[in-house]
Amino acid sequence: MTATTYQPGEIQGLIKINASKCKGCDACKQFCPTHAINGASGAVHSIDEDKCLSCGQCLINCPFSAIEETHSALETVIKKLADKNTTVVGIIAPAVRVAIGEEFGLGTGELVTGKLYGAMNQAGFKIFDCNFAADLTIMEEGSEFIHRLHANAKGEENAGALPQFTSCCPGWVRYLETRYPALLPNLSTAKSPQQMAGTVAKTYGAKVYQMQPENIFTVSVMPCTSKKLEASRPEFNSAWQYHQEHGANTPSYQDIDAVLTTREMAQLLKMLDIDLANTPEYQGDSLFSEYTGAGTIFGTTGGVMEAALRTAHKVLTGTEMAKLEFEPVRGLKGVKSASVSLFDTELNQNVTVNVAVVHDMGNNIEPVLRDVMAGTSPYHFIEVMNCAGGCVNGGGQPIEGKGSSWLGNI
Amino acid sequence: MNKKKHLFAEDSFFLSRRKFMAVGAAFVAALAIPIGWFTSKLERRNEYIKARSQGLYKDDSLAKKRVSHANPAVEKYYKEFGGEPLGHTSHELLHTHFVDRTKLSS
Repeated sequence: MTATTYQPGEIQGLIKINASKCKGCDACKQFCPTHAINGASGAVHSIDEDKCLSCGQCLINCPFSAIEETHSALETVIKKLADKNTTVVGIIAPAVRVAIGEEFGLGTGELVTGKLYGAMNQAGFKIFDCNFAADLTIMEEGSEFIHRLHANAKGEENAGALPQFTSCCPGWVRYLETRYPALLPNLSTAKSPQQMAGTVAKTYGAKVYQMQPENIFTVSVMPCTSKKLEASRPEFNSAWQYHQEHGANTPSYQDIDAVLTTREMAQLLKMLDIDLANTPEYQGDSLFSEYTGAGTIFGTTGGVMEAALRTAHKVLTGTEMAKLEFEPVRGLKGVKSASVSLFDTELNQNVTVNVAVVHDMGNNIEPVLRDVMAGTSPYHFIEVMNCAGGCVNGGGQPIEGKGSSWLGNI
Repeated sequence: MNKKKHLFAEDSFFLSRRKFMAVGAAFVAALAIPIGWFTSKLERRNEYIKARSQGLYKDDSLAKKRVSHANPAVEKYYKEFGGEPLGHTSHELLHTHFVDRTKLSS
């Protein structure tokens, strides 16, 4: 009996150091948010799986490309694409569209939504933009925040904890779950966009696609390695549960069947001889490719907060924000904060909402959490992303904006 | 006068030539990497973070709709299937619970 920080069925030890390539240079330790990397300088390093969040920051920053992923769904996805009885739904995260071009010789940060849709369509995917699910997330998480705010203002029982934390980032969620379980009530109960997308694709989507849910194979394309771990959480089979309750009788399936990183999607397209850089643009094939600007900025630090504020403003005051760009939450400062004063039509009074945005979690989150635990936090709503810069710099993204390690093998 | 004694032994150096070269290479790499590497690495990283973020802000500014509540597909989802935010179906499908992992053991 050994204690573990994993539930049965979850992917364990996703990120691994290849002992034959590791030079013991300690670079990875500088990027690990949880100090999960053991080994003296000069000696081969290893990762403590129980502390590891699977965020992959060590992997993308290792100068010797000595750090690898132990799980890849690439082969499975290619088989499913070839299977005529299966509808393969490709769920595209916001940060993928500004990075995957780099793997095909396009400029760093070039926006390639249409080309990516086109390339994935050629490969046989139905296009489901995760930005649509990000918009759904704002509807749910934003409503939840307003509910908590009002319930607390009115002094209701079971009002819900404030500050409310965002729950989109699986690295951050796992960090809280492994270290600060007392703060779990502060997390928004809204699923991450990836999990909402998978669930919707296999419930409402089954009607839209006119398919049996068990013949829908959901593949998310993520800038993130930790999303693989998230998708494997045993509770994330809610589409299956929903259909069981509505009379179906099938073996259990996950909401997300497979996760590919941005790098792996580039690899898949190359294996299928599809050159994304020269693919004609494609608009999508269903309502699931309709998204808003608020959904797309989820991929960068501050984006979830900015998107939530746009909708909260409308719900609370009844009017749209005069200027949608909300500069105080943009940029690379470790902890960004802002106060928003607005007239709350339900409470019929002016309210001030204090928000904070934290990224590069390992270096910035501790003081914020200490305040929350002491009950002295000035904030009502806090966005947290594990990776510096948010998902655009996730552990599944092209490395160094170019797609390979910078030193190669020594 | 004491007679000088000489001890002869096999080479007691514990590394093979090949291993010695590898350790040497690692040592040189470790010397080459520290502080300067880290700062320049962070600068380059921040550059591509900014470039990619700009790409997303561009996508936002180009979008026909820029607020989540105005997404017609989201509206359609709630109308035809999901009900309303925080409603019964939402709780079933779009919300979750979290796990105290300090208590897990196999």
